[in-house]
Amino acid sequence: MIGSAFKTVFFKEVMENIRDKRTMMSSVVMGSFLGPIMALGIIFMTVQMGKDKSEKQLELPVINMQFAENFEQFLLSQDVKILSIEKEPETAIKDKDHDVILSIDENFGQAMSAGVPAKVMLYYDASAKGAANISVKRVRALIRAYSSQIGHTRLQLRGVSPSLINAVSIEEHDQATDQSKGAQMMMFLPYFLIMGLFMGSIYLAIDTTAGEKERKSLEPLFLNPVNRVDVLSGKLAATITFGLMTLLLTLIAFKLTLPFYPTKSMGITLSLGIVDMVMMFLVLLPLSLLAGSIQTIIAAFSKSFKEAQTYVNLVIFIPLIPSMLLMFMPVKEKLWMIATPILSQNIIINKMIRGEVIEWGTIGISILGTLIVGLVLAWFAVRLYNKENMLFSD
Amino acid sequence: MIQVEKISKSFGKVQAVKEISLLAEDGKITALLGANGAGKTTSMRMIYALITPETGLVTVDGINSTINPVAARARMGVLPDARGLYLRLTARENIAYFGRLQGMDESTIKSRTNELVERLGMTKFIDRQTDGFSQGQRVKVAIARALVHDPQNILLDEPTNGLDVMSTRAIRTFLKEEKARGKCILFSSHVMQEVSAVCDEITVVDAGTVRAVGSEEHLLEISGQSNLEDAFVSLVTTGEDS
Repeated sequence: MIGSAFKTVFFKEVMENIRDKRTMMSSVVMGSFLGPIMALGIIFMTVQMGKDKSEKQLELPVINMQFAENFEQFLLSQDVKILSIEKEPETAIKDKDHDVILSIDENFGQAMSAGVPAKVMLYYDASAKGAANISVKRVRALIRAYSSQIGHTRLQLRGVSPSLINAVSIEEHDQATDQSKGAQMMMFLPYFLIMGLFMGSIYLAIDTTAGEKERKSLEPLFLNPVNRVDVLSGKLAATITFGLMTLLLTLIAFKLTLPFYPTKSMGITLSLGIVDMVMMFLVLLPLSLLAGSIQTIIAAFSKSFKEAQTYVNLVIFIPLIPSMLLMFMPVKEKLWMIATPILSQNIIINKMIRGEVIEWGTIGISILGTLIVGLVLAWFAVRLYNKENMLFSD
Repeated sequence: MIQVEKISKSFGKVQAVKEISLLAEDGKITALLGANGAGKTTSMRMIYALITPETGLVTVDGINSTINPVAARARMGVLPDARGLYLRLTARENIAYFGRLQGMDESTIKSRTNELVERLGMTKFIDRQTDGFSQGQRVKVAIARALVHDPQNILLDEPTNGLDVMSTRAIRTFLKEEKARGKCILFSSHVMQEVSAVCDEITVVDAGTVRAVGSEEHLLEISGQSNLEDAFVSLVTTGEDS
């Protein structure tokens, strides 16, 4: 009898909510597909814009080009398109007409002849978004190249080896692999997965508690000769099922969008094998218990669907905190971090993405830590309706 | 048979029910008559073991509902004040859900549902999702859902509240049939004609206490009035004075 009430409630809640297009669309489909598709869009645009700026012919507005004819020849030889400009350079930058404007000092020629540093002015906006900085970098590199070319000639004319000015030379050894560079791009993945998990269970957590109270069907339900803990357990199980369903769809959605990432032009490798997906699912599995229980507890205390929605939606921001922390400060993980729910899943999935080997002990501690917190919350959640004053909305 | 002995309940400082006692016997329809806020719903909730009385005792067919609420509830079919249905389930699925929670097997649920469909006149809408049902259709489904397990004791909280004549008649007829089958029926109401039309025994409550008990004739006699409404008003005001 105990088991049958649990099953009855579970199947009824699952079936009822599958029939509800609003649940399916708002939490399951949106929760799972929105993240991966948005990420793909943003990365694609960023890469595309960067590529445009660095490969296209550089268009450079120059003021007073006539003072530096030699420099002009150099720029033209580097395939720069020199533009003239009417506006004041400050205004032109402010109006976003150009990313960067070069102005030649009127004493440029004299300084050159005298062998003292000749001055040019570079106008740009360092706070401008992404791709504009690429143009600034290109112009700066051109000026440096010209400067060093002239410098070298001067030294040679005086019989001095130009290599004397390079006292130290740097040999770069970047240890980043294509996969770890790709991992940097995929820092957001754990957040999307956890987010999907949380979003998938929101609607049911509310519908099965506050929603049922608002519809006035909770009182008749509890008039059946069943244990309230069994009923709530069935409801919680249905809530968790929807969370896991959304998680699974998020993983699949991500897998499906992977081939569309511009990996070649970024020089990175992105991979997500079936084994990795199964492992990620396994690591996130106990988190669904925690998410469903927290949401159920909050919703059960609310008097109406709307009230519950307001509070439960705030919970979505909890997984954001550790994800953000890890994005901005790479930390060496400690035992307590592995045992802390949400934080531990972030760390482990990040490691998986980077292609690092994860010990079973680490996974075990993560699962155990999360499971304990989840079970405590679930224990509390299924007993909430044992209190009389929780039963009625009036 | 439902026996209630001196049950009380207070919420904060407000005492909603003070030592109410009543007896609802098999083969009879017993009414709990009272104005809005007299303590009817709270009393009913204690009787059907949803909330625990602070004092007193409720027994359902001899089962103490405080000690064994699950067993007591299995002996009762209750139409509470809250009668929300699941809108995305059909009427039949709503009824079957409660049947399963009552521990019934699928074939019994099916035959009992068909019987209730017939008797309450639900053929037209039984396989429709309940979203958009009329008040009358909703109450019929709620009654069928509450009584799917054919309980010995039937409790209804203001069953015909807000219903049209046809639905009210259908429900009254149904209750009279159940009475003829020897069922114990207890219902709360504030509608005099209703109580007058179907009830054998009446317990008048006001401000959380019992004012009078007896048949309609008995109440008319002790109050010296010619109809139930006047009798009720007289009993309630007398009560306030004493």
